[in-house]
Amino acid sequence: MKLLAAPLASMVAALLLAALPLVTSSNYVIGIGLSALIFTVAAAALNLIYGYTGLLSFAQLGFWGIGGYATALTVVTFGGNFWWGLLWAALVNAVLAIVVGYPTLRTNRHAFVIVTLTFALLVTLIARDWVSLTRGPLGIPNLPAPEAFGHRFAGTAQFYWVAWAFSVAMLGFLYALCSSRIGRTLVAIKQNEPLVRAQGIAPVPYKLAAFAISAAITGAAGGVYCFHLGIIDPLFLDFYYMQTFLIIVIIGGAGSFWGVVVAGVVMSALPELLRFSEDLRMVIYGAILVVAMFVMPSGVAGWLRERQLLRMREHVR
Amino acid sequence: MSAILEVSDLRKAYAGVHALDGVSFAVEAGSITGLIGPNGSGKSTAIDCISGFQKLDGGKVVLAGQDITGRVAHHIARTGLMRTFQTVRIYERLSLRDNLAIANQQFDAANWLDELLRTRRYRDAVEAAEKRARQLVELIGLQRYWEIETGILSYGQKKLVALAAALMPHPKVVVLDEPVAGVNPSRIREIEAALGELNRAGETFLIVEHNVEFITNLCHRVIVLDQGRKLAEGTAAAIHTDPRVLEAYLGMTPEMAEAEMRGAA
Repeated sequence: MKLLAAPLASMVAALLLAALPLVTSSNYVIGIGLSALIFTVAAAALNLIYGYTGLLSFAQLGFWGIGGYATALTVVTFGGNFWWGLLWAALVNAVLAIVVGYPTLRTNRHAFVIVTLTFALLVTLIARDWVSLTRGPLGIPNLPAPEAFGHRFAGTAQFYWVAWAFSVAMLGFLYALCSSRIGRTLVAIKQNEPLVRAQGIAPVPYKLAAFAISAAITGAAGGVYCFHLGIIDPLFLDFYYMQTFLIIVIIGGAGSFWGVVVAGVVMSALPELLRFSEDLRMVIYGAILVVAMFVMPSGVAGWLRERQLLRMREHVR
Repeated sequence: MSAILEVSDLRKAYAGVHALDGVSFAVEAGSITGLIGPNGSGKSTAIDCISGFQKLDGGKVVLAGQDITGRVAHHIARTGLMRTFQTVRIYERLSLRDNLAIANQQFDAANWLDELLRTRRYRDAVEAAEKRARQLVELIGLQRYWEIETGILSYGQKKLVALAAALMPHPKVVVLDEPVAGVNPSRIREIEAALGELNRAGETFLIVEHNVEFITNLCHRVIVLDQGRKLAEGTAAAIHTDPRVLEAYLGMTPEMAEAEMRGAA
């Protein structure tokens, strides 16, 4: 019964979230829900590479931006539709992750952080300065609403379903991956790489796959999100997004699938809930983060885990 | 008996210091072979080079008829050589069960697609590994920790976990790097008994260890290294009376050693 609790709870939660546009007609509230879904997907993708594999990747911001631009350009410049755009966003990012990751993952974790950070900065520069492709600082406005089966998902409430279906599919895939022994192998690599090698497992293909999958999903999430905004410009590569994904992973508990999913929804909604005080909003948000880190340095999931470990210790003594 | 592991003329230098200076030896299938020597004699370097964790400058390593010289570590493991480490290496934040399951996963038929889709082949592989893991956990006497994170275990228990993990995929040779260093005496006897039992069941071991009594009790053959060269090789009893070994390693004369042997008996 306990085994089924998490999947059951998540299914109920997913259905409740799907019903959001039915309970409210406020585009503001639906927009927050939509952001929460997409940010959660991007954070879960970061969790795969950072939480599970132990590789802190700032390249997520670059993948997010490239995904957004790839989707927008597919529709606006290359005459494809939104769905093809998402596919391209995923593919381009997966290939880029392999190209960047292959040499970098042969060095060490620190080099990986630096290279991914540089990659994100480079993408920002390209978005701003490669005007003939990205239209520079002006960006690409008026992104059209996507269509499927003759239905046009126009307006926030309609587009919300697209984002919902996308998020459920991506989180479902990530869950299957993380809970399989592939996920367990990633954790093993993070914990003790020499031992993994001594047990006949080559770490680099695992790390590379985790990085590529993480990049593809982040890119597609960026593609969905920029169509929600209806415009993509270099501000889409604002560090705010990276910071949000990272906060979600750290507060939720790096390496915990459900911890990050729950934190994704809560942390995306929190800044909005604090709008009662416009001046102090971000101050309170920051204070909550600091306190949370003091009380639960390994995130909510880490905190729960430590309590469980304490009980285990009592049990075996 | 035939040699399952043969190393010849191993050479390795660090900044001009010869850690290994032409070491050759063989491990017979089904035997327990001890590799001893004073600190810095090249024991650890030798097994690091054999298992692919360090690059050799020269020499040859043959495992079960296959030349594995210069192969990467995970490749050598797949060929059938499993090793433990001097400073114990286990997955401290995974359960005992997961520790053992991971050690075996590269050696079954399930591929990544099976893993993702949870196919029959995957479930069968997991079940078989679980059965093997349960047997080994019983052997090392840690049944009650099955579902528990190995980080909370004592140092000696962790060494046992590392040993069990190395045994999981039925390797051709198990290389143990100081399996009883830092382990309390009663536990040492348990490990000794467990290794003896496994060896009678057909496992082959190469053991690096400082504990002379442990080596003497277990090993069919002992190889002594000193300053990167092989100083002596023979049965434990013969090694014990070899004056060169006594001088280099134990720092005793043959008479002192004899007195100690009598005392121990």
